[in-house]
Amino acid sequence: MNEIALSVRNLTIEFPSESGRIRAVDQVNLNLERGKIMGLIGESGCGKSTVAFALLNSVPSPGIIVEGTIEYTGYGNLLKMTPEEQRLFRWQHVSVVFQASQNTLNPLKRIEDQIRELAQAHRIRDVRVLLERARSLCESLRLDTRRVLNSYPHQLSGGMKQRVGIMLALLLQPEIVLFDEPTTALDSLSQESVLQIIREIHQKDGLTGIFITHDLGIVSEIADTVAVMYAGRIVEISPTARVFSGPLHPYSQALLDALPRLTGDPRAARGLPGSPPKVVGNVSACLFRDRCPRRMPVCDLAAPELKRVDESSMAACFLYSESEEANVHVKMH
Amino acid sequence: MRVVRRFGVSLLMIWMVMTITFFMIRLMPGNPIMDAYLSLLQQGVPSQEAMAQIHVLYDVYPNQSVLTQYVLYVWHLLHGNFGTSIVYAGRPVLPLILASAPWTLMLVSIGITISFFIGLFLGVLIALNRNTWFDNVMSQIASIFHGIPNYVTGFIFLYFFTVMLPWFPFGNIYGNTVTPGLNFPFIASVAYHSVLPIAAYVFGAFGTWTLSTKSAAVAVLGDDFIQADKIRGLTPGQQLDHLIHNSVLPLFTGFVLSLGMMFGGAVFIEETFTIPGLGYLIAQSTSQRDYPVMQGCFLLLSSAVILANFLADMLYSRIDPRIRV
Repeated sequence: MNEIALSVRNLTIEFPSESGRIRAVDQVNLNLERGKIMGLIGESGCGKSTVAFALLNSVPSPGIIVEGTIEYTGYGNLLKMTPEEQRLFRWQHVSVVFQASQNTLNPLKRIEDQIRELAQAHRIRDVRVLLERARSLCESLRLDTRRVLNSYPHQLSGGMKQRVGIMLALLLQPEIVLFDEPTTALDSLSQESVLQIIREIHQKDGLTGIFITHDLGIVSEIADTVAVMYAGRIVEISPTARVFSGPLHPYSQALLDALPRLTGDPRAARGLPGSPPKVVGNVSACLFRDRCPRRMPVCDLAAPELKRVDESSMAACFLYSESEEANVHVKMH
Repeated sequence: MRVVRRFGVSLLMIWMVMTITFFMIRLMPGNPIMDAYLSLLQQGVPSQEAMAQIHVLYDVYPNQSVLTQYVLYVWHLLHGNFGTSIVYAGRPVLPLILASAPWTLMLVSIGITISFFIGLFLGVLIALNRNTWFDNVMSQIASIFHGIPNYVTGFIFLYFFTVMLPWFPFGNIYGNTVTPGLNFPFIASVAYHSVLPIAAYVFGAFGTWTLSTKSAAVAVLGDDFIQADKIRGLTPGQQLDHLIHNSVLPLFTGFVLSLGMMFGGAVFIEETFTIPGLGYLIAQSTSQRDYPVMQGCFLLLSSAVILANFLADMLYSRIDPRIRV
């Protein structure tokens, strides 16, 4: 129990731009337990997808990982591996279900040929075994196996392509699967069936994964724990139930308040005015303070760090660290 | 079935273009048949006899209406008779064209192929190294060569490599000491004479292919599946294969069409290097108002372009599964 499969320390990612190096991800720490799914939520642009790409060391150009370690238990720090080791590590040990799987398949090759390419790339000698596995995965994904393998991507519907994306992600039996908004591009019916499939696999095979989304509803259905990101930082990590009953960070609360309820007045949903800041350079104040209903004087003076609040939760907010608040006061005087 | 219909449409288009060129050629100022007739009259030939002579030579009466000439022309064409040259009195058009075509086709097809592959190679390389010094330098070079007409490169090559450094022969397509035929000295001489014209063609054309390949490859590099290929751990070779295959698609039609266009000859290169090819023949016959030869050349060119178009359509569906005939 509680074995850590992946541990990220001080992950910091910057994107050079005309107005300086924008810090998309700042000092992110997280542990992923084996057999658990962690939801990673936040507004668009908060850096959640960048984190996912960083876990494979393929942050889209021009982003660079300026600091941090990405430690896979049993394999070591991904960032220290040679390019060839990294290439073989990707997909064999950690794979991705992409946001828009329909665009992640080479339009010129049949699905079966794309599987053959994967086998070749990962030095799998017996392609037949892999194709057999692809077939059984297709069946459990409720795909018409023969048709799908013989099809070109454009001959499949969006929902089918998304399921092909899941099939490809599970094909090499990786320890960890990253789901990067896998349902965002789908209609609500396909969305539900894809979620159900992921849930089934999670329950049956004890899938370990990170589920990235901006949709709290989906997180509540699928994740064991939730990490909330704001402006490139993790502001809270809590068990899913807690995030929905009484989240710690004011930002998590704001996300929850913005969710329309089926029970009660849907107009009671409250939006959060303003937008997250772009971060350049080091941060010397809480980034959420301008939108925060519980702002305190200390929030202008230092950036709160992610600290353990109790046994199950962590938060980056001065509401939970009076001692640090005191420290800042001492420094001031 | 669609193929048959497309082919039928192609034949119809060839007939239409042939008809239009037939009348347009005769709209040009100057009338060679009338000139020949008048000069016979001046030599004191009685008009009846002059008329008969012209008819024997050119198969046309000077006072025939254009419409009658057109009907006659089409009738002859359907029997495989392209008419007889006016300038080279009495020589049939078809053998004239057949004698010129091989030189052009050899030079231009080699030139197109070399420049296409150089352009593909450089374009992909530039796209992969986007916004580096290599991109800046190579894109500039490609733009410059894209802008220089091939007769200018031709003249420069001629000056440097036949005058300054007499490494290559000037003019014609084989030396006057060899006997044409399937013998080694002849082939070697043709190859030797072809180096400069082909080089001039390649330098005039590779820039265009480089720039189009670059823009295609840059677009493909932005596609999600290229990023996904990397994350799936595909080998660099497989990633490159996907990039090239997807970047070639928009260039393919242009490549096949340019193979059709080559039947128009490389007029400037053939003029510069005095190669007796199709371009040379077209230029000569046009300046001398040699109607039947012009008509034959244009018919060949338009048929080749239209058929290349047809071919490109048919072949495209073989390289892009999204387009199925």
